[in-house]
Amino acid sequence: MADLLPFDGLKVADFSWVLVGPTTAKYFADHGATVVRVEAAAPLDILRTAGPFKDGVPGADRTQFFAEINTSKLGISLDLKNPAGLEIAKRLISWADVVIESFRPGIADSLGIGYEAAREINPSVVMASTCLMGQTGGAAAFSGYGFHAASIAGFYETTGWPDLAPDGPWVAYTDGVSPRILAATIMAALDHRRRTGQGQHIDAAQLEMSLHFLSPQIMDYSTSGRSVTRNGNRSQFFAPQGAYPCAGDDQWCTIAVETEEQWKALQRAMGIPAWAQDAKFDSMEGRLENHDAIDQHIGEWTKDQETTALMQSLMSHGVPAGMVQRSSDLESDPQLAHRNYFRTLEHQEMGPVPYAGHQFRIKGYDNGPRFPAPVLGQHNEQVLREVLGMTDEEITEAIIAEAIQ
Amino acid sequence: MLSPYTVLDLTGGHGDLAGMLLGDMGAAVIKVEPPGGSAGRGEPPFLDGGPEHERSLPFFAFNRNKQGITLDLETEAGQNALKGLVEKADFLFESGQPATLDSLGLGFDVLKEINPKIIHVAISAYGLDGPYADYPASDLTIAAMGGPMSLQGVPDRAPVRISVPQVWLHAGSEAATAALIAHALMLRTGEAQFVDISAQTAMIATMLQGISAHAIQGRDYQRAGSLLQLGQANLPVVFDCADGYIVLIPSGPTLVVMVPWFVEDGVVPESWIDAEEWPTYHVRLLQGQPVSYSAEAVLSAITKYVANYTKNHLLERGLREGVALAPVNDMGDLTGFQQLQERDYWLQAPLPNGIDARTPGLVARLSKTPMSVRSWAPALGEHNGQVLNTLLGMSAEEINLATGGKAG
Repeated sequence: MADLLPFDGLKVADFSWVLVGPTTAKYFADHGATVVRVEAAAPLDILRTAGPFKDGVPGADRTQFFAEINTSKLGISLDLKNPAGLEIAKRLISWADVVIESFRPGIADSLGIGYEAAREINPSVVMASTCLMGQTGGAAAFSGYGFHAASIAGFYETTGWPDLAPDGPWVAYTDGVSPRILAATIMAALDHRRRTGQGQHIDAAQLEMSLHFLSPQIMDYSTSGRSVTRNGNRSQFFAPQGAYPCAGDDQWCTIAVETEEQWKALQRAMGIPAWAQDAKFDSMEGRLENHDAIDQHIGEWTKDQETTALMQSLMSHGVPAGMVQRSSDLESDPQLAHRNYFRTLEHQEMGPVPYAGHQFRIKGYDNGPRFPAPVLGQHNEQVLREVLGMTDEEITEAIIAEAIQ
Repeated sequence: MLSPYTVLDLTGGHGDLAGMLLGDMGAAVIKVEPPGGSAGRGEPPFLDGGPEHERSLPFFAFNRNKQGITLDLETEAGQNALKGLVEKADFLFESGQPATLDSLGLGFDVLKEINPKIIHVAISAYGLDGPYADYPASDLTIAAMGGPMSLQGVPDRAPVRISVPQVWLHAGSEAATAALIAHALMLRTGEAQFVDISAQTAMIATMLQGISAHAIQGRDYQRAGSLLQLGQANLPVVFDCADGYIVLIPSGPTLVVMVPWFVEDGVVPESWIDAEEWPTYHVRLLQGQPVSYSAEAVLSAITKYVANYTKNHLLERGLREGVALAPVNDMGDLTGFQQLQERDYWLQAPLPNGIDARTPGLVARLSKTPMSVRSWAPALGEHNGQVLNTLLGMSAEEINLATGGKAG
């Protein structure tokens, strides 16, 4: 039973690009589905043009940005504007249980692979269309990235320092929020299909999915008029909280006190310093009011300590603490090693490279990515021959027609 | 979509979103709280004038479509009631630190004997075992340990988290997805499944290209404010406008639309329009090939132009002419964003203090099985009688015993 995969036998045609659609499709690919990722040679998926590049040498097949989120997929390079290419796209839709697309609204229809066309070919198909703003409404055509949706949602307003312009979250934040919600939605639609035979269309707006991550703040504004803003690392409610400097170059340890018990524990970890006995620090209100003074004292105490040792000492005293980890720190994080998080796979161009594992473990099921991301067009022939059952003659015709790029 | 399924949600402020998502998708969700209330009821921000246990806005936000019961799991009566519910359930979520149910003798090994098809999902900071499993954690410390903080903030100050707690929402939505993956596995194997969610790894996922950057290119990315780090050229994406800030990506598709605006306002001479192949400007810039105007000159033109206009003006003109100019919205700006009204996105939620609040709507639109909000977050023990009597046939006295004396 151990080698059974959750989505073994499921067929997914992934016409999406950049982050949200491909990450959604990865949830199916890594767990057993046959996923065909349809790409164009021009324009390339923008992730193929951005780093990190293997050994710092740029190249469409050398970036882990693309590779990280396209594991366990078969890749074909197809010209959808070419009539022969469109024919192959339609054969894929006919083959698929799930179709995912992330074109600007209206484009899939104009290419001839929108939901209306898809269900003519395949009535029980589950098709997901995802974009920033949704398929309808005056701003449907707003064609941007997760940066833009994050800004409109409020994630820029709430990231950074109160006295500076907003920093924004790292890269396209809503692209880190939306895929899980969309994947769960598709899985639920598939379960409905399993029970009823009924397919359907899903319109998933990345802004609308992501706003749930600000839901309490939206309600707060709606009832009290309070609009949340960026506040460094401080909490509006608990103190002290912050990232404190440690020994070495740009090393930081976060400390987050949320209860009186944790404040006492922090004092014990610091050796019950005299300054902390001041009555103005006794209550949460007092600590919130005098946060600058507390930060200065804690920073003095942390600045010559080694980050990992400091964090472990704080945690063993019962104080929530965590060092600010970079990619290089994750490589040696003992908890991640314990979870067998990183999985090394042999990429055709990059060779053996570590891929992020999954965010969950299922008991008795080893669920790492199954195989590395494809180089551009890596599985053209395999998909046409084995997946779509095309004959040598049909494949030759497609190549002559330049449908395959 | 998920209407045949019953979900038991024992999470307490860490992962409530998981059950909410399945509930929005049609599942019957029962929130099981200790008699004194879930820890989630103590999560700020709080509602002004809300009754005790009903003041937490996060609790209200992430517990819609759930019936609420209390069970005293320290007692045999409470444990028996939970076992009775497990028999009838398909999914169970918990967020103890770690695995509270295990310590009560109600761990997976016990529950799967009662229900051999149960999907048991445990959400915790670092996962249920391993060197950090028992360490205390908070939103801030997991944002640090998961990596995204190392990439956020300006270089001359400390790295920053997003000021609004995000960690348990990432973990909670991952838990919903993982539960459905485990359910698909159960359909294959016929066996109950145990799922262990690590919030730390849910945060790592938000590092995107930063995750393995060090192993791939030999160096970490470093925090650089709002600069978009593209290797050869780092481009700002946040610009000051007349009444705040605007986010735009200074790439070819943006410039091809905006350069004529610059000309219109006399920010740059008309010769700019034809002297550069704007659609591919950023490609050549990033590859170090010749461009007619330096990045500095282009950024200076953008800066001068947008300084004269409000964020709404820029958004509107961008929408009309097909360029993505995104205002840095605060909560007020967001609620005025027309697209969400036109899509009929917002819902009005009746809060426990009698005020209706604007609240995020459905996460997706489905053509055949629309999601729905059928009820709002339950009061403490609101459905004790209804759930325990209807599902388990318990008498009023039995209910009183099992629920710690709060028969609703």
